[in-house]
Amino acid sequence: MRLTAIILGMAFTVLSSTAVAQTAVDGQADVTGSVANVCVLGAPSPSSINLGALSSTSGARAGKLDTIANQTVNLPNSYCNFGGTRISISSTALLAADASAPPAGFSRAVNFTSTVGTWGTPNAQVTTNAAANGSSATANGDSGVQADPREANLSLQLSAFTAPGDGFLVTGAYAGSVTITLGPE
Amino acid sequence: MRRLLLICAVWASLAASAAAQDTDQAGPIPVTGNAPTFCTVGGLQGTDNVFDLGILIDTTTGLLSQSLSAPPKTMAGAFCNAGSTISITATSIEAQTLTGAPPNGYSDEVDFTATASGWTTSPAVFATGSGANPQSSQTRGTPFSGNIIVSIDDFETAGGSALRMLADPVYRGSITLTLTTTN
Repeated sequence: MRLTAIILGMAFTVLSSTAVAQTAVDGQADVTGSVANVCVLGAPSPSSINLGALSSTSGARAGKLDTIANQTVNLPNSYCNFGGTRISISSTALLAADASAPPAGFSRAVNFTSTVGTWGTPNAQVTTNAAANGSSATANGDSGVQADPREANLSLQLSAFTAPGDGFLVTGAYAGSVTITLGPE
Repeated sequence: MRRLLLICAVWASLAASAAAQDTDQAGPIPVTGNAPTFCTVGGLQGTDNVFDLGILIDTTTGLLSQSLSAPPKTMAGAFCNAGSTISITATSIEAQTLTGAPPNGYSDEVDFTATASGWTTSPAVFATGSGANPQSSQTRGTPFSGNIIVSIDDFETAGGSALRMLADPVYRGSITLTLTTTN
């Protein structure tokens, strides 16, 4: 008798629980989210460029800018998950640490061309045009528009190193920089 | 309770969207180099590096000729890419074959003055017969490029102008020009 009462009690409880669950399943829940516009440039490799000695110390070009080989910086796995983007370059010529105005025939600046390919057409490219005294050292350039989302291994190439007026380079340390931006046009 | 969980999930998604960036930047990537401190005296114009004085004496008197001269030499394309000091030294013109001290009344040596001009405001001057030559080094504080003119003059018989010159097929002296950076 007691066992029968327990079994009946358990059955009632189950039935009662079933009745409550059926009452709760009467709505609809939406699941929403969004994907933001994202552009990512891969970490530059190498992270810096040291050109070493810039000037010749012998021969017909002694004291003038030596031949400098092209330099490449890789930016792997760069991407934008939306279309309508471009690469922008801000490049600053190498300038001698000594900011004194150089004498006639000398220069404290070394200009160069920066090119990033390939993202949009044409490639992003800019050539610095610093004067011998180092003024107007920074220049900017944009690529064409990349219409679609894209992932690419980008590369920055530095080339065409020149000194204003092909002057003698004043002695000392020289420093410039390149900044690359990937984003909406 | 379940509805509360769904709301929290959407809120988290919105928060993640706010942190995303549609623009990325690499750099500034440093580009560095250096220009070594450097000087060169350039190249000597002309066919050789010899000041040829010819016959040193007045053949009628045996004394040193009073009309000795030689065209100056030009060092073309000299430059220093920093402040610099130009120095000139010289050795007297001496008989190359004779040995021993000359007899009384004679000399086997000619003094002269060497001058380097064009590099500094005051030329660098060295006189072989002078015990001290404070003007032999001159300094300029800025980089410079140009020609250096080296000349010789003021020839004098070592020991006195009354001495006659000993015969010798070759008399020779020398001039040394040096450019050094100062910083």
